[in-house]
Amino acid sequence: MNFISRDSRTLSIARKEFRHIARDPFTLGMALGLPLLLLVFFGFAIDFDVRDIHLTVFDRDNTRISRQFVDSIRGTGLFIIKPGVGGVNDDLDHERVKGTLVIEKGFGEDLRGGKSPKAQLLMDGADNSGAGVIASYLGGLVPAAWIRLKGLEAARMPIQLKTRFLFNGELNSRWFIIPGLAVLIMGLLATLLTATTVAREWEHGSMELLLSTPVKPIEIILGKLLPYLCLGLGAVLLIYVSARLVFGLPFAGSHLLYLVGCLLFLIPCLALGLIISSVARQQQVAMQMSMMITMLPSMLLSGFIFPVESMPAFFYYITAIIPARWFIVVSRGLYLKGEGIVELALPLGILLVMNVFFVRLALKKFKADLEP
Amino acid sequence: MSADKAVEVKGLTVRFGDFIAVDDIGFEVSKGEIFGFLGANGAGKTTTIRVLCGLITPSAGAVRVAGLDFGSDAAAVAIKSKVGYMSQKLTIYQDMSVEENLEFCANLRKMEPARMKARVKELFDFIQFDTDPKTMVKDLPGGLKQEVSLAVSMLHDPEIVFLDEPTSGVAPAARQRFWQLIRRVADSGKTVFVTTHYMTEAEQCGRIALMRDGKIIALDTPAGLKRTAFPVSLIELSSDKPLSKELLAQLKNDPAMRSLVPYGMRWHLEPAQPGSMESLRHRLPAEVELAEVAPSLEDVFIRMVEGKR
Repeated sequence: MNFISRDSRTLSIARKEFRHIARDPFTLGMALGLPLLLLVFFGFAIDFDVRDIHLTVFDRDNTRISRQFVDSIRGTGLFIIKPGVGGVNDDLDHERVKGTLVIEKGFGEDLRGGKSPKAQLLMDGADNSGAGVIASYLGGLVPAAWIRLKGLEAARMPIQLKTRFLFNGELNSRWFIIPGLAVLIMGLLATLLTATTVAREWEHGSMELLLSTPVKPIEIILGKLLPYLCLGLGAVLLIYVSARLVFGLPFAGSHLLYLVGCLLFLIPCLALGLIISSVARQQQVAMQMSMMITMLPSMLLSGFIFPVESMPAFFYYITAIIPARWFIVVSRGLYLKGEGIVELALPLGILLVMNVFFVRLALKKFKADLEP
Repeated sequence: MSADKAVEVKGLTVRFGDFIAVDDIGFEVSKGEIFGFLGANGAGKTTTIRVLCGLITPSAGAVRVAGLDFGSDAAAVAIKSKVGYMSQKLTIYQDMSVEENLEFCANLRKMEPARMKARVKELFDFIQFDTDPKTMVKDLPGGLKQEVSLAVSMLHDPEIVFLDEPTSGVAPAARQRFWQLIRRVADSGKTVFVTTHYMTEAEQCGRIALMRDGKIIALDTPAGLKRTAFPVSLIELSSDKPLSKELLAQLKNDPAMRSLVPYGMRWHLEPAQPGSMESLRHRLPAEVELAEVAPSLEDVFIRMVEGKR
């Protein structure tokens, strides 16, 4: 028999925990499968970029100038243009297109004569975010078309707005999503797995075994958290590698700072898992509570998809207590903007405060639970 | 407090909020004794054991286990290294092998590798474990799981072993085997503190404490309990035909009879005075057979715990 005894109880518990993870298909599936599933789902399936927009065009003018205008829209490659037939609203009514452009008779005439030519754009406002994007695309095309039709001389407008997008030049939504996704996955994994592992000890009665030995509560806590901290960091690595290699994301900031940020974010999540497990003594309940507490707020209120800045004041302040909201700022800042410790001092500082708060609460709750 | 006592308890009370789980109990257990706790579910047996193992702090009372007084956290830790505890539920890890479970618990108790190795071999010999120690606990038969559990609770060579319903859900043959182990543990000079639901098992204890609603209502040897509960005698009535309702009612209301309780297909009748056999023989129909029997612990249990008149 090969018994390897180490001195530390914490390490013994951690090793036992690794065995549980490796031997329980559910935990293992959760730990490996969930990050992959979310990565594939958000990385490939969900795409907020607006492309291949169907547009019906009624060219009532049908002159060289109007045709050139339509060509310049087609030339962007973003639109699929369908010549209008029948009533102006037909295609919109049947949701065959996102918008209908009507070029009035006399468009070319007016342009040549120095008057401002008229065209009308009808949009399907039901999808408000899509409509906004399309309208601004087309709006941006007008000056370009103007230049093409009248030459550079004529294009000299009193105010010119030159827009250049920094950090994510192509406005690629994946670049925006994936640094946030890492946060989402880490938070969920750390909280969920910690909560269920402690709940499992209660459910199976093995907590009695631990408690009947002279092991201290802090040793149980650390021994239980260590493996999930490693697992959380493993998930970070997985997402980092696929972000860089598969999705071609830049990483502009400091890796060391990112690691510090990850730890500052993972620790309160693990602590939250412990707090949940002191309330839920069954794995099922612990799992549901973790999902509710981490998944929903980090999806909706963390700025992962919806910017917190544009939320109503009430929700805006609520987001402040969600660790994910602050770590997303750090994550995006490091991936895309290359921010340093100075720019990220606020979110990192807030995470540090959260560490103190959550860890103290978890220790208090868990110790009260264990002590005779 | 004397040196030959393994457990001394005085005025022990445990409250959970408004609920009184253990209500002012006191008893002493000698070293090397097999001490049984008998009682219905919720009578307070497990709570008492958990106090003695240092898992619950009592609300009131003086407790001394293995020569250590309760009170400080340090004492609770010290007690945990002197007692072994095997809980009602199977608490060893099912997804770990026998070897890994023992190794894990030895690490939690900071045992030297050499000492652990020797101790594990001793325990395997003791429980006559001849299965591969790399077998997962979940693949062991029920009786063997309990035996491995016992080995885990005795890994650190404790002075007192607390066994909370160690044989619940185990096949009869395996139960018998387990009790042989319990006797051997006691023979080796250790104190065994055991709770059980099975009357035949309780018979094997040196002394038994009967618990009801958090109180100890009787404490004696099995024979002593029987004498106290049935000071006169116990008469078994058996018959091929069921006894008529009228006859049963008549016997029940007879002031000369202390009790009448069903016992399987038969009835156990307890007269208030000695020498009632003769008069009963005349009163009862011929097909009813009468026999004076020694009361079983089940009779005692029913009388004292459930059938309080």
